[in-house]
Amino acid sequence: MMRYILSLLTVLMLWSLPATAQTGPLRIEITEGVIEPLPFAAPDFVSDSTTGAEFGRRIAEVIAADLTGTGLFREIQPEAFISRVTSFSSPVQYADWKAINAQALVTGAVSVDAGGQLVVRFRLYDVFAGQELGQGLQLVGTQDGWRRIAHKVADQIYSRITGEAPYFDSRVVYVAETGPKDQRIKRLAIMDYDGANVSYLTDSASIVLAPRFSPDGRQVLYTSYESGFPRIYVLQVGSAQRRVLEQQDGTMSFAPRFAPDGRRVVYSLSSGGNTDLYMMDIGSGTSTRLTNAPSIETAPSFSPDGSRIVFESDRSGSPQLYIMPSAGGEAQRISFGQGRYGTPVWSPRGDLIAFTKQSKGRFHIGVMRTDGSEERLLTASFLDEGPTWSPNGRVIMFTRETQGAQGSASLYSVDISGRNLRKVPTEAGGSDPSWSPLQD
Amino acid sequence: MNTGQIISGTAHIGLIAFAVFGGAFKSDPLPFEVTSVTAISADEYAALIDAPRAPEAVANVDTPEPPAEGQGLPELTSTSDAAPDLSQPEVTQTPPPDDVPEVVDPVPVPEAEVSDEPPVMQPPQEDIAALVPEVSPRPQPRPAPRVAPEAVAPPEPDVAIDEVERQETVPDAEAAENVEPETEATAPEESTTEIVTEAEQVDPASAAPSRSVRPKTRPAQPQPAEQTQPAEDTRTAARPQPDESAVNDALAEALGQAGGADQGAPSGPPLTAGEKDALRVSVQQCWNVGSLSSEALRTTVVVKVRMGEDAKPVSGSIELLSSSGGSDAAARQAYEAARRAIIRCGANGYDLPKDKYDHWRDIEMTFNPERMRIK
Repeated sequence: MMRYILSLLTVLMLWSLPATAQTGPLRIEITEGVIEPLPFAAPDFVSDSTTGAEFGRRIAEVIAADLTGTGLFREIQPEAFISRVTSFSSPVQYADWKAINAQALVTGAVSVDAGGQLVVRFRLYDVFAGQELGQGLQLVGTQDGWRRIAHKVADQIYSRITGEAPYFDSRVVYVAETGPKDQRIKRLAIMDYDGANVSYLTDSASIVLAPRFSPDGRQVLYTSYESGFPRIYVLQVGSAQRRVLEQQDGTMSFAPRFAPDGRRVVYSLSSGGNTDLYMMDIGSGTSTRLTNAPSIETAPSFSPDGSRIVFESDRSGSPQLYIMPSAGGEAQRISFGQGRYGTPVWSPRGDLIAFTKQSKGRFHIGVMRTDGSEERLLTASFLDEGPTWSPNGRVIMFTRETQGAQGSASLYSVDISGRNLRKVPTEAGGSDPSWSPLQD
Repeated sequence: MNTGQIISGTAHIGLIAFAVFGGAFKSDPLPFEVTSVTAISADEYAALIDAPRAPEAVANVDTPEPPAEGQGLPELTSTSDAAPDLSQPEVTQTPPPDDVPEVVDPVPVPEAEVSDEPPVMQPPQEDIAALVPEVSPRPQPRPAPRVAPEAVAPPEPDVAIDEVERQETVPDAEAAENVEPETEATAPEESTTEIVTEAEQVDPASAAPSRSVRPKTRPAQPQPAEQTQPAEDTRTAARPQPDESAVNDALAEALGQAGGADQGAPSGPPLTAGEKDALRVSVQQCWNVGSLSSEALRTTVVVKVRMGEDAKPVSGSIELLSSSGGSDAAARQAYEAARRAIIRCGANGYDLPKDKYDHWRDIEMTFNPERMRIK
């Protein structure tokens, strides 16, 4: 018996020996990487004319600023370049760019055609792989619109490298604020996402609040105290023409937001001391009531598919976030952390909800999943509020107000990872930003 | 059970019993030195410790006196001044005669101060040592642009950024024969182990540990930067590698197998866990997932690479074998990031044992970003 067991063991050991020896290729698993900005080089776009060369320089600058501004890329300064790009069609000297650790390289050319139009071509290279990323692309536009062309090129580079949808060619509508806190002048303003090309949509005669872009970016909803009471207006961005949307005597309407179809608006209406949510069909002007509770319901925001609405309610005693079907009905509470939650905004990707949270005397901008899980606070300050999503759902812009009588409001942006918090340059103070969709 | 077994068993038990109880293992105790020790209490010990220190303190007090030889009088007047100051308020507050001894007490206080100094010096050392873990805040990760498995302090401002730390070398006039290539001083880039959001980094007062730090991976093995030193080249050149491959080929031929270079199972010992780890650490230093989309960060890709005998990846040999968890577009971004990592960190050749080339000629690397999402 013993001998049998021994011989069996011996056979098993001998059998297992070849299994431990390696067969086929060596296999390793990499689970730890690094997170750091990707170094890229964007030399000035080449041109055969002086006008084109000037545009080439400015376009390369805007592209570099766009990419660097994401926090995901780091520009290699031109002083470090070893080889010069003198011709758009000549082959790239990969070794020269490898030597300065440029992992991505953008080359381009600018020319002005017979009609005075700007023609911009560019190519993107993966330097270490020694090959082009995607195809070369040509963009044509007016000379005035050179910044948009630059943004479009940057958008292409951004999405080719990250796989993320782009967002540089977008605009932001916000409330421009000037003057001291007790006599502040508020006007609606619109600008490129990076703070350039500011123009004002309203005068300073009355207080305006909470502008919101329509899904096509052509209209803006906002609340104005023009009549003495808060009322919702809709404004055409192109013509600056506006009309009042909701007008019931003795009521206040505010916090409007477009449905994803652009034909309906969900908003808050305060009547007889009670605030509830309503939905209005813009075409017919008829409103339907969505909530009917003695508590305050406000700050509604649609899910991107239009099926649900997230909003803020104090029905449990303190302001919390709830989700209900877009036609109204039973609401489900999703925020359960300590503190007060407000101004929820559904991400354009549909996976996250951004919100303002007040806890332990500080304000935060945070994100959570649509079931309330994985809450993550991204910022902390004396007063942060009013988040708005970039068109690709990767960046959040919000208002930050500083403390004291001299305190002022400015716009800030932060990546949804919590990195890359930065101030958005505006001419004066700014608050209540609303990010447009990507432009056509 | 047969008789033989019974006899055997009895004999064994008997032998063991003799060994244990019969004194077979006993031996004369080894000679050793005896030192008499007196047990004392902690207080006595403290007194012992204090006793020799007290004179030291006195000696310290004495030292200031010599320079002030001629000015001993002012000191005396100052002490006598202090006594009336103390007595006056006491007397006015409580007239009972009990106060008189209290007035006397403050007078010896200056004397007591002299002898108190040594004990005062000692306890704080213990107290501080005991308090440090409670008072010191949890080490907070600094916000840095680079998030890596290991935190790295900011490098010197005039040092070039590289994967490895390297001392600056300059040509040495004396050792002209053994000329080392001139290299610039380099240091790894500043990095932190996790993303620090503003909400997390502010307010050190509330920095109580909310979760434990993830255990770190093994420390990085020496990097291929050694190859900048000519000594490495001579060493590798000295290895009888060509002969060995020739022997391998001959063996393979003799055994009737197809030529060892392209087919067949690799011979010789496989890579050790440490060698595999060194390769893994080398690649992950260059695997930058910071510029990947959220979807690409959910995508695991398996990438195949053919290595040259110089331990550098063969250009154009890197291909995507499979992916899971994301769309084709996300898999392409994840693959491109993996490709950049392999090429970039292998530019100077990986630190792989040359004699085991057959084992690492083809490598399949799985890039799994699951743990990078949490950061």
